[in-house]
Amino acid sequence: MPTTTSSSSSSAASSSGNRQADVFSRLASSDPEVKLKALREVKNQIIGNRTKKLSFLKLGAVPAIASALSDADCSSNSSILVQSAAALGSFACGFEAGVQAVLDAGVFPRLLRLLTSSDEKVVDAGARSLRMIFQSNQAPKYDFLQEKNMEFLFSLLNSENENVSGLGASIIAHACGTSVEQQVLCDAGVLEKLVLLLDGSLSQREACLESLATVLKSNPEAVSRFVGLEAGRYMSSVTELTKDRYPRTRLLSCLCLVVIYNTSPSYFLNMGTKSSLVTTLLELLNDPGQSGDEAALGLSSLIAEKEDLQKLAYEANAIKNIVDILKTGSELNPKRLQGLFLSLAELCSKLEDCRCSFLSLEMLDLLVNELRHKNADVRTAACICFRNAARSIKNLSAGRFTTDHVMLPLVQLLHDPSSSVQVAVLGALSNIVLDFSSPKSTFIEYGGIKQLIELSKSMDPNTRCSSLRALRNLMFLADNNRKELFYSEVKAQGFVALISDPEPSVQEQALALLRNLVDGCINSIEFVFDEDGLILDTVGRQLRKAPQAQMAIQGMYVLTNVASGTELHKEAVMQQLFPQPQAESNNFMLKFLQSHESQLRSATVWTIINLISPSSPGALDRHVKLRNEGIIPQLKNMVNDACLDVKIRIRTVLSQSMSFGDN
Amino acid sequence: MSLFRIFINQDDEDMATSKKVITRDEWEKKLNAVKLRKQDMNTLVMNFLVTEGYVEAADKFQRESGTKPEIDLATITDRMAVKKAVQNGNVEDAIEKVNDLNPEILDTNPELFFHLQQQRLIELIRQGKTEEALEFAQEELAPRGEENQAFLQELEKTVALLVFEDASNCPVKDLLDISHRLKTASEVNAAILTSQSHEKDPKLPSLLKMLIWAQNQLDEKAVYPHINDLSTGQLEDPSE
Repeated sequence: MPTTTSSSSSSAASSSGNRQADVFSRLASSDPEVKLKALREVKNQIIGNRTKKLSFLKLGAVPAIASALSDADCSSNSSILVQSAAALGSFACGFEAGVQAVLDAGVFPRLLRLLTSSDEKVVDAGARSLRMIFQSNQAPKYDFLQEKNMEFLFSLLNSENENVSGLGASIIAHACGTSVEQQVLCDAGVLEKLVLLLDGSLSQREACLESLATVLKSNPEAVSRFVGLEAGRYMSSVTELTKDRYPRTRLLSCLCLVVIYNTSPSYFLNMGTKSSLVTTLLELLNDPGQSGDEAALGLSSLIAEKEDLQKLAYEANAIKNIVDILKTGSELNPKRLQGLFLSLAELCSKLEDCRCSFLSLEMLDLLVNELRHKNADVRTAACICFRNAARSIKNLSAGRFTTDHVMLPLVQLLHDPSSSVQVAVLGALSNIVLDFSSPKSTFIEYGGIKQLIELSKSMDPNTRCSSLRALRNLMFLADNNRKELFYSEVKAQGFVALISDPEPSVQEQALALLRNLVDGCINSIEFVFDEDGLILDTVGRQLRKAPQAQMAIQGMYVLTNVASGTELHKEAVMQQLFPQPQAESNNFMLKFLQSHESQLRSATVWTIINLISPSSPGALDRHVKLRNEGIIPQLKNMVNDACLDVKIRIRTVLSQSMSFGDN
Repeated sequence: MSLFRIFINQDDEDMATSKKVITRDEWEKKLNAVKLRKQDMNTLVMNFLVTEGYVEAADKFQRESGTKPEIDLATITDRMAVKKAVQNGNVEDAIEKVNDLNPEILDTNPELFFHLQQQRLIELIRQGKTEEALEFAQEELAPRGEENQAFLQELEKTVALLVFEDASNCPVKDLLDISHRLKTASEVNAAILTSQSHEKDPKLPSLLKMLIWAQNQLDEKAVYPHINDLSTGQLEDPSE
């Protein structure tokens, strides 16, 4: 069919083009009869027909219709008002370019005025077209904080006309964004008004559910207010609607409940409700239309971070259902794909059964394909799916993720233009590089190290952080060859830049990476001494700057690892801990030992253990120094530290201490 | 022992001896004990007339019984005009009427819109207007297939009508059948009812289905007078 259209389109297109041009010119006629007829024609041609909307748009139909509406407004010609409003509404229906054109034509205020007409048909037409506009992201911002806007909004909600009240709800659903706006609306009594629509017509119910979700989202006060209305009557209504005959009603009520659950889970103590919410969303996944798209995203939002719900979904056969939909072969809407992949990712986030089930269904090929999808959100979701599936150690060590087939497209995504994709693929790679089963690393062979280092210099701090995390995992228990390969690309200066990054989270990852680098055999420690000990100096400097706990932990572990080396290494660490001359008593070691973070106390004690391990010649002198600086006495005070690990290490130190003849 | 018979032996006679028997008298007595409200029955009748679109009958029934129709009768007239137009093959007219009634219906129902366009094409082919049909197919139907892949298969079927010299004898000739018009008409009717928040199916058929189901269920446990002819509702003694 497409081939026939393109080849013999010349005659068809030109005659239809002529017809369109003809009707367009009649729009401008001064004869109201002719104009009305032309308006009806345009309206009837574009309704349901996206292609025609586009071609009429290009002719400039929207401004022409807008001016027809303006003229009719002045002369109160109802029929023209109705037809032009309907035509404009159709242009705006689900068609972003149309919404843009309608707004650009400046006809929005005119449409608002139609709502006050005495002719019911005019009001209907105006309300419908405004509702279409408000369903788009381009709708004008509605300032809920202005009193007259609130009054107008409530006048809409109070209207008997279902299109008008539906418009009011629609405005709330799409324009309410901040918690301040939610508060203002609730205080003005919007919840009490909206719930009345639940008992109304189908479109009123649906508009109500959408707007409730917007007002309640992430707002515990609003949720509690809603649930309290008439002793929970409306909460029950919404729950009942999840079993409604219309799929869209079921979807919207589910989404409303998901919002309530995510905001205040305490209202869902009943396991039955949770379970039926999960199964209803799963059923809706099969709906071919918009409801199915939104159901997928709704499901992922519901089960995110909630292991109990993930288990429920798994037991309700979620994985198989989703995989079946993905495998149907037909082109799925990007929004739906994103939702499905995110749902799969959430299912695999903590449950090994899910991961194994998912991987056993031959999904890797399909997932790899979607890494090349033109929509960035889909690529991101696919990467997150990979990341979570790769948490399965069993499948990871079976080498399922390190084949060329999988590795190559992932590595290619490191160059993706979208930073969210980059961060997501870095997350996936961070897990995949932990495959110790094979001696060679496909990732490194594909030049992965260079690319990760490139990304560690990205403008986006998330990307820098994620790439360093991947490198950190790559260097974990790595052999010398790999370490040398890495270091040769970074060098001392590079490391200094990483450790001195403005973002604390990036510094933390950089230090963790360094910790893994110098861990292992004694030769690895030499890296920090390169270029006159540049790296070690930087670490010391950062530690002296009163860093955040997480960063300090990694920094102290670096020192611990260095201090596990030779005499020279240990002395170098002492230099960093107690640089001379020390003006103020800026003893960060003492501060760390008094930290609330048990891991930091532990890391610091480990450093001390390595510094005074009796087998080394200079241990005694170092012990003296530590005692004089108040470190050993501090440890004696910590003999009963709350953390067991810290307590045990301190006992080790104190026994070493006693061997030096200390009491 | 008789209990055993029920489970093991599916033979009718055996079952008849172990099931409870209810005579006609007893049955009629039980039925008479059930209280029904006249207004419920009136509502059912009105619901049927309204959903099926019998405007005049609904109007007269309203005047004679005082039963209020659940929707404005004027909207039924509009809806019936649309249905009739499709049934007569005047699809373009039907589309205009639907858009006058509620422009959102076709804008938010791609499948319905496609089926109406499809019906238009079928009517053009039926009238032998091949050139016009071809042009229509290219201009109006092909874009639907491009906009939505789900329609491609049906689209190809419909266009196949154009390929055959004698469309009334080709593999897809069912499309030319009058029943296809009725199918499309029914689809439009349902969509309009939904947009008016009205249930698209009348209640009466559901009740009758319930009756048949209940009788089937009861058959396993008892012998009693059946209603076998739904149109008369006559009680018939069980056959021996």
